[in-house]
Amino acid sequence: MQEIFFTFRSVTYAQEGERVLRQAGIHAYLRRTPARMAKRGCGYTVVVRARDETRAKALFDREAVAYQNLYRMEGTP
Amino acid sequence: MIYLDNGATSFPKPEPVRRAVQEALLTCANPGRGGYEAAMQAAETVFLCRERAASLFDCRAEQVVFTLNATHALNMAIHTLVKPGDRVVISGFEHNAVTRPLHGVGADILIAGRRLFDREDTLFQWEKALRTRPKAAIFTHVSNVFGYILPTEELSALCRRYQIPFIIDAAQSAGMLPLSLRKLGADFIAMPGHKGLLGPQGTGILLCGQVPEPILRGGTGSESKYQEMPDYLPDRGEAGTVNVPGIAGLSAGLALVAETGVERIFRREAGEAAFCARGLRNLGYRVFAGPFQSGTVSFLPKSDCEEAASRLAELGIACRAGLHCAPLAHESAGTLATGTVRLSFGHTCSRQESREFLRRMGEFSQRKL
Repeated sequence: MQEIFFTFRSVTYAQEGERVLRQAGIHAYLRRTPARMAKRGCGYTVVVRARDETRAKALFDREAVAYQNLYRMEGTP
Repeated sequence: MIYLDNGATSFPKPEPVRRAVQEALLTCANPGRGGYEAAMQAAETVFLCRERAASLFDCRAEQVVFTLNATHALNMAIHTLVKPGDRVVISGFEHNAVTRPLHGVGADILIAGRRLFDREDTLFQWEKALRTRPKAAIFTHVSNVFGYILPTEELSALCRRYQIPFIIDAAQSAGMLPLSLRKLGADFIAMPGHKGLLGPQGTGILLCGQVPEPILRGGTGSESKYQEMPDYLPDRGEAGTVNVPGIAGLSAGLALVAETGVERIFRREAGEAAFCARGLRNLGYRVFAGPFQSGTVSFLPKSDCEEAASRLAELGIACRAGLHCAPLAHESAGTLATGTVRLSFGHTCSRQESREFLRRMGEFSQRKL
């Protein structure tokens, strides 16, 4: 199953992102950013299902939640 | 004991606060540092507190920076806005938590508005002072000695009109009076977590209208490859592990404040302060009371204020005497030489306790204390 990884600069921003998605009924969870994606060093990632990518991006834009990067992942990285 | 020293800290802490601290000690590891359950639980605990503070003070969660206390928060804010030689306007009722950092940085301090309970004069003097184009302005929301509620909305509007960056010291108002970072447009609002917000000692908050200059540098759990501190909130102001058990307790305190409502809290505390002020006047004491007063009131005993407070402690009344770390406020009110005895009402206050306090004071006054 494909998952979308939204990486964030810090845990607080990732938590904000997760809250925004959950409040909109999108299943999302928080995890540490895999080292190969953490370009600037440690960070946190919000993971959603591939089918929720467009809605998640739109919600982040609307709520001014700034993620760093987006990765499309097949299964667990 | 009748506890009337809530201006120093709220006491005893409510049961949900105590329970939250204990729960955090048992379930929380380091927030923002790991991905395992206890680390994520800590991160969730801290974020929930940020959300509750953001909701109460009308800002975004990341604008809430956790500090050790209000003094720490004020130091960070002052360090950000004030450089050596800068002119800074302050009110005549500031605490040493404002004046000492300003003296330390070598600021050119201009004091504006020294008349107690006189909002018109406060605003007039501030407008005059702001016309001198200072680099920053700082005012307390409520005097910690006299409970004078400064015209915060109007002072904020003046600072915005003159485009002067400003800091509000909400040490004696957070959790007792409405505060909106968004509406006031302050650069920073500093507050303790352990007074009106009912959290444990060792907690504080700096609400940030701009990204502060850090006074501590170190690990933040973010951007670890780089030696510069992150340039965003809240990480820039939170080097090192935050006080997770304290923040858990503060979060429970914030929930209690929100549930009760600040207007209701204010009415009760200010109501008891006014009731005791009238009673003390009837007993012949000089009481500093007036319009725009919070749940704090000062009076002059008939003897040395420290000795009077000691005798009151023997009668089961816990209150504070002396200068209350605010010599400037005493200078403004003409009580620098004597100090005052301060009564500050909090979440446990009641009319029954106020009546009992006045009864004991009645006995006390007959002994010329």
